Amino acid sequence: MEFYTKPGDYDPINYIPHTESHGTKELWKTFWILLGITLLDFIIYFAMGPSGFRNFIFIFFGIVKAYYIVGAFMHLKYEKINLALIILVPTIFILGLIMGLLYEGNALSMIK
Amino acid sequence: MANHSDAAFEKLPMWAGGRSPFNVSYGKLMMWIFLLSDAFTFSSLLVQYGAQRFSNIESQVTTKWPDPASIFNHFPFIHGFHLPLLFVSVMTFILILSSVTMVLAVEAGHRNSKKEVEKYMLYTIIGGAAFLGCQAWEWSTFIHEGARLWGNTFGITDQGYKHLSEVGFGDHFHWEEGDRTNGPVPFAALFFIVTGFHGFHVFSGVVINVVVYIMTVRGVFERRGHYEMIEKAGLYWHFVDLVWVFVFTFFYLI
Repeated sequence: MEFYTKPGDYDPINYIPHTESHGTKELWKTFWILLGITLLDFIIYFAMGPSGFRNFIFIFFGIVKAYYIVGAFMHLKYEKINLALIILVPTIFILGLIMGLLYEGNALSMIK
Repeated sequence: MANHSDAAFEKLPMWAGGRSPFNVSYGKLMMWIFLLSDAFTFSSLLVQYGAQRFSNIESQVTTKWPDPASIFNHFPFIHGFHLPLLFVSVMTFILILSSVTMVLAVEAGHRNSKKEVEKYMLYTIIGGAAFLGCQAWEWSTFIHEGARLWGNTFGITDQGYKHLSEVGFGDHFHWEEGDRTNGPVPFAALFFIVTGFHGFHVFSGVVINVVVYIMTVRGVFERRGHYEMIEKAGLYWHFVDLVWVFVFTFFYLI
């Protein structure tokens, strides 16, 4: 198997774009950020009493961690915007499902 | 061997053929599409968990959804102490660490450094196996405490909550008679289903990593001239880490 170097040589199955190393600096930085946020989760859990605001913080931190994992570790930040969009846009449906079912679940608890 | 003509591809019209519109290989694109479908699978499980939990928040008839911290408060080799969140934080740390060794293997692959890829893949496999061991311990402790797929003995009574409010982090703690009764069944069932499904993904990830590691050692990728397979295995492995972020948030923190 080899790289296809001219447009005429393009073969959708075997085409492998050339990739370059970005170095390990950003990867370690991401690791420390993820570790820091997890420690912060741990501290906030004991520092604050259970509340809706605390849950909001945890979910927000979860999304921040997801951004760093998908962006830096899974390299999506450096992919073409087309690719990033076909992966990220469909997850909007998940948000809709979460909001809908939490609302309905809460309504169910009134009669349960 | 290096491809210097990506720029030539870029000049072609995007959807007219003869180039990859996403500038990724077929395998990597398909891995991303698979991960998207897997994201929907896990979302359906987590949304189910959220809906069941919300439907037991203000319940007057059945016992309320139990506070996870009062149940997952064990740590290996230290029995009988109230240590909520500590063990899962260690598990999270293990998974983050194995994620960073995975991405270092991918980076070493970009430099075609066989020795480094081997080293970091081995670390990643060890991390994954350690995580699976932790989860096995977590499950066996939970089952030992009385949890079953079809039942939940963690309906905490008012007396139980009073008892819990008196213990601090690291204090001795044991459930007493009358602290617990039968609680909402989906609590234990969804714990087993969601962490089990995630654990099965971790297991598959370890198997994939072992296969890729053996292929690296045997020089398959060196002969091929690129380490793209490490990137695809890496995408899967990071996705498993990503799912754990949300399992950790919804099952343990909230």
